[in-house]
Amino acid sequence: MVKVGDMLVGYATDENVRSRGASGGLVTAVLAAALEKGLVENVVVMKHINEFEAVPIVTDNVEEVLASTGSLHSVPVNLAKYAMGRKVAMPAKPCDAQAVIEQGKRGMIDLDNTYVVGLNCGGSMHPVTTKKMLVEMYDIDPEDVVGEEIEKGKLIFKTKNGEEKAIAIDELEEAGFGRRESCRFCTLKIPVNADLACGNWGVIGDMAGNATFCQVMNEKGVKLLENAIEAGRIEVQPASEKAIAIRAKVNSVMEDLGSTLEKEIFPDIPDEERMQYYMEQMEDCIDCGACKEVCPVCACGEDSKCTMFHSLVDNYKMSMYHMVRLLHLSDSCIACGQCSDVCPSDIPITLLQSRFSIPSQRRRNYQPGINLDTPPFFEVILK
Amino acid sequence: MTDLNLNFEPNILTFCCNWCSYAGADLAGVSRLQYPTNNRIVRVMCSSRIEPTFILEAFKEGADGVLITGCHIGDCHYIEGNEHTDERMKDMVNALERMGLGERLHLEWVSAAEGKKFQETMINFVDKIKALGPSPLEHKRVE
Repeated sequence: MVKVGDMLVGYATDENVRSRGASGGLVTAVLAAALEKGLVENVVVMKHINEFEAVPIVTDNVEEVLASTGSLHSVPVNLAKYAMGRKVAMPAKPCDAQAVIEQGKRGMIDLDNTYVVGLNCGGSMHPVTTKKMLVEMYDIDPEDVVGEEIEKGKLIFKTKNGEEKAIAIDELEEAGFGRRESCRFCTLKIPVNADLACGNWGVIGDMAGNATFCQVMNEKGVKLLENAIEAGRIEVQPASEKAIAIRAKVNSVMEDLGSTLEKEIFPDIPDEERMQYYMEQMEDCIDCGACKEVCPVCACGEDSKCTMFHSLVDNYKMSMYHMVRLLHLSDSCIACGQCSDVCPSDIPITLLQSRFSIPSQRRRNYQPGINLDTPPFFEVILK
Repeated sequence: MTDLNLNFEPNILTFCCNWCSYAGADLAGVSRLQYPTNNRIVRVMCSSRIEPTFILEAFKEGADGVLITGCHIGDCHYIEGNEHTDERMKDMVNALERMGLGERLHLEWVSAAEGKKFQETMINFVDKIKALGPSPLEHKRVE
């Protein structure tokens, strides 16, 4: 039987799911089984519209779960907020899983009833940038794209007529395309904080491309997998030594890339210019509040300290709303990049936020959203 | 630039806790200890009442420096209030450093018997802020 810490390779038994899934359809099958067997009441999935557009839905329909199979790198939506107050299973990038745990720490998500199936993530892309990139760099019509993959530092697009075109991510990012900025300096590529850590890294030999590598992280992960095996939706077998080594190697390459890029993305600003820098960045803010609305770790609700300052009267010089948020989120910001994505004025809020949160998290040796052992550090513990 | 700094009289906002440092300031007064008149004192019941927004608001409204004073650790009227202050200010200084204002916030423990210390703290802090010059936020408003 499945144990915590097991490294497995598995795939969906349903041929249709297996072939349409990005790599074996294991994740889709596990989610569908969880819903079928009543382990959860709902599943959060992304409903495909096209390769660059999808909407998150909370569903209790197995068919809809099965239809959601396939990877989407160009729809960077954080799903954590959809798990609030529900008994759900959800697929999750490492940052979704981080957000779920951060919300769990703040009592907004019941972690015992939330099943998180983690997916390896090499980074996601903004749909608008991606479309532009496809035309300019790949010379592919965005309409023709049927799949994409990040492998060995290369971004690969598959087209309708079976062609594949790969360009190194470094090259794309130099040209101003590629992954979102927050993904470039991210160093959590395997979702070790989720219940299951799935992905195609470490799937080798004849399995490559149609099986999923899966690491069982905790008891909930065991439940998920055993439930899916019982339902006859998946088949698993232990992963070989070689596969485990390859997965670890891919991970370390990606992590190194992340830490190298961090230095490039956050150049030092001289002391006397810092205030000017923030004021210049923030001066386009129109006080729409979208960054708070979309923030997956924000747990204060409608009326909170930051929204108290949500008036132009308060913000004639520099937005107090942002200053409060910069301070308040420094213990929970997971740098998922949602706020930058939705900002109508294109303010790189994630980068500004990370300038605050990364040093203060490092100083306390705190990584948000990894486990429940470390409470939010603003929750001052005094004996 | 140096000339400007010599003529520069900073606005300093001082928060004093009701039980120790406000009494300390009082003692400095009745003992006729001279200290610069740049500061405006706001009395709060405990130094832990001072939340980050107070400090941000002060800087935004044109303060060149913010000084926070409270009881010595262990002497707090509310047992452990100043320990919260200490913890909070560590983060606050760190965050203000990111904005280039880190030097402009100072935390000092002053007891009711330390009129002399209150005077010295005030003199030193005003000197420090004078050397730093006007706050970048203040500068913006003058323009």
